[in-house]
Amino acid sequence: MNFFTRLAVDFAYFLHSSQSYQSKKRFIYDILENDKYHYKKYFDIFMIMLIFLSVAILIVEVKSEINIYLKIFNIYVISFIFLVEYALRFWISSSVSEIIIKKSEQAVSLGRKFYLYKALLGAAKEKLRFVLSIKAIIDLLAILPLFHELRLLRLFVVFRVFKFFRYTKSFQVFASVLATKKFEFFILFIFSSIVVFVSSVLVYIMEAQNPKSPINTLFDSIYWSVVTIATVGYGDIVAVTTEGRMVAIFVIITGVSVLAFMTSIVVSAFTEKLDEVREIRTVDTIRELKYFYLICGYESVAQEVVKKLKSSKISIIVLDEDVQRVENAKKDGLIAINYDPGNVESYQKLGIDINLQVKTILCLRESDVENVYTTLTVRSISKDVNIISLLMDDANRKKLNFAGANEIFYPKGLVGMIAKELTGRPVAFEVIHALRNDYYGVDVEEILVDERMSQNILYVSELNCAKFRIILLGIYKKSTKRFFFNPIEDTMIESGDYLLVIGNHAFMGEFEKYLHKKIRR
Amino acid sequence: MKQKTALIFGYNDYALEIAKNLKNGYEKIIIYTLESDAKMIYENHEIEVRSFDLSDNWSNIDEYIDKESSIAFCVLEDSAENIFLTISLRSTFADLNIIALSNNKQTASKLQMAGANKVIPLVQTTAEMIDEMLQKPIVKEVFHTILFESGALKIAQVKINEHNAYIGKGIAEIDWSIKYGVVVLALVNKDMSSEFIYSHKIKHHIIDKDDLFIIVGYAKDIKEFENMTGSRCD
Repeated sequence: MNFFTRLAVDFAYFLHSSQSYQSKKRFIYDILENDKYHYKKYFDIFMIMLIFLSVAILIVEVKSEINIYLKIFNIYVISFIFLVEYALRFWISSSVSEIIIKKSEQAVSLGRKFYLYKALLGAAKEKLRFVLSIKAIIDLLAILPLFHELRLLRLFVVFRVFKFFRYTKSFQVFASVLATKKFEFFILFIFSSIVVFVSSVLVYIMEAQNPKSPINTLFDSIYWSVVTIATVGYGDIVAVTTEGRMVAIFVIITGVSVLAFMTSIVVSAFTEKLDEVREIRTVDTIRELKYFYLICGYESVAQEVVKKLKSSKISIIVLDEDVQRVENAKKDGLIAINYDPGNVESYQKLGIDINLQVKTILCLRESDVENVYTTLTVRSISKDVNIISLLMDDANRKKLNFAGANEIFYPKGLVGMIAKELTGRPVAFEVIHALRNDYYGVDVEEILVDERMSQNILYVSELNCAKFRIILLGIYKKSTKRFFFNPIEDTMIESGDYLLVIGNHAFMGEFEKYLHKKIRR
Repeated sequence: MKQKTALIFGYNDYALEIAKNLKNGYEKIIIYTLESDAKMIYENHEIEVRSFDLSDNWSNIDEYIDKESSIAFCVLEDSAENIFLTISLRSTFADLNIIALSNNKQTASKLQMAGANKVIPLVQTTAEMIDEMLQKPIVKEVFHTILFESGALKIAQVKINEHNAYIGKGIAEIDWSIKYGVVVLALVNKDMSSEFIYSHKIKHHIIDKDDLFIIVGYAKDIKEFENMTGSRCD
């Protein structure tokens, strides 16, 4: 390995292992290409505004003189920003250092001689692939007005409009949907081209020698043919001879079928891709949510839980592998997606941070096998997320515990316990049930003692419960994680504690206001 | 001899859970199954299992249960059969306490129309518990302990006897939480409807004999309170 090759390989390793270089490159990649990156949308909005501004200046410039600074801004500043953007995209499109390292390691492992120029050639091919991509060509055309000395190049400002494709996802979705029908469009194009070619030649032969005919050149006949096949029919150029009109009839009939064929291709493309398009939009919506409950499985218990949770103001997302159940969830006004909750790939596709975004995962399938599987899948992704699961058969409790569920609800066991209470203390049970369900306007609440409240109210005696007709059932002390029932009056209230109070709605509201307002002298 | 009996209709996990929870409170527990091989099931359990048919007229039950203190649970998994069973039990025994299990709201209202004294809406109850766990975890924990677990904190129904010192006093004047360490949640009216202790209706209530209070407290304090009031009414 000669000196320059050695130097190039060492430099490649240096760049590859440099945290500072890699983090900068990663940041640029995130801001330009990573849809999951939170700040990308702000960059996109900024670029869209620049494009709008640039085109607006061009339009105004057509008929009136614009301010010189605006002109400079349009030609130099905006173009320069686009140039920098192009350069950055060029930089992140591929990694030259990685290619050099890969080729070098390959050569070493195979015992062959490493040629730097081959590695550089490979890197150049990668870069060229970027340069020749449609998006990069549009980007380049948008920069050309920078060279305003070439007056024609200023018209390339119009190409900046095409940059919208890069920043607006709808355009990309539209293009990707149509791209699925490439073959059909190609067939249609070939067919139309043949019809245009044949009809324009025929009409030229029939009409060109007739002095009354407006079709005098081959270009006229091609123009007439395209206008006719498109069923536009401007009427500026028409066939006047009987033979020419016969050709026109043929082209018109063909044109109608071409149009119908094209419409059907577009419609079928969208019909086939509609679910995918909706899925993309749903995933985007979910990614943008800051905090939500993730319900895995939308069966009867889940439906009832959702009714209750809707009052919590925290969003609810439903994952279910069954299409019908997903439809039911959507009908109930929820964000639902047809992904298998027991598959790691589902969470990868969602692109969510389970630890940050998900408050609790509820495994509510009425099948222990599914719930155990989902719990295990989620636990393999996150060790900390809170998982609540339904248990249908008590024999599977250990399995659910082992899979990592934090809380387990066993409805059958609940029935047994309720039966005991209903036969033992029916009235007491009904009272607690009424309290829990907010009957008679009386509710039980847990009020978090915040910093301010703890500074205003030091002891239980200062709560003034009697004044607000509130029953203080007890205090949950954060420090000891213990519940103190019916605390004595000189019990200290600290920040982070929870007051468990029972009272009428109206009084409860007043009580909470009092707790927050009271200022200690 | 007529016994205080729990009749559980339907041989399934619900029935076994109910039987497990009631075994100390009843002299006899009988599970009725629609299966014909009840004897074989009986051999595998400590609880008596008998076969029944939905067309039975139940007249023989009358011979061995004390209807006043006995209770029937209708926990058949098929909703239609459960409603049919409830209605046929009610038509035979006007005074029997019947508790039925329902899987949805529609069935719950039908079961009530069929004559069930109490319906346990399984799905709703589970959902309520899950919702409470998510939104009010401490409330859930405390109430669950009070109701279902054998912790130190208990809930009790206490009746005021006729010679009690508090008779004639306004309910708003007294504070039993300091003196007896118990928290009074509600007062039960004569028609058995409960009123929350600080509600408008009973704010000016004067304590009278046979008033029934729902209290929460530690077992020792409840015992002391019961001694003061006269009787426990569980």
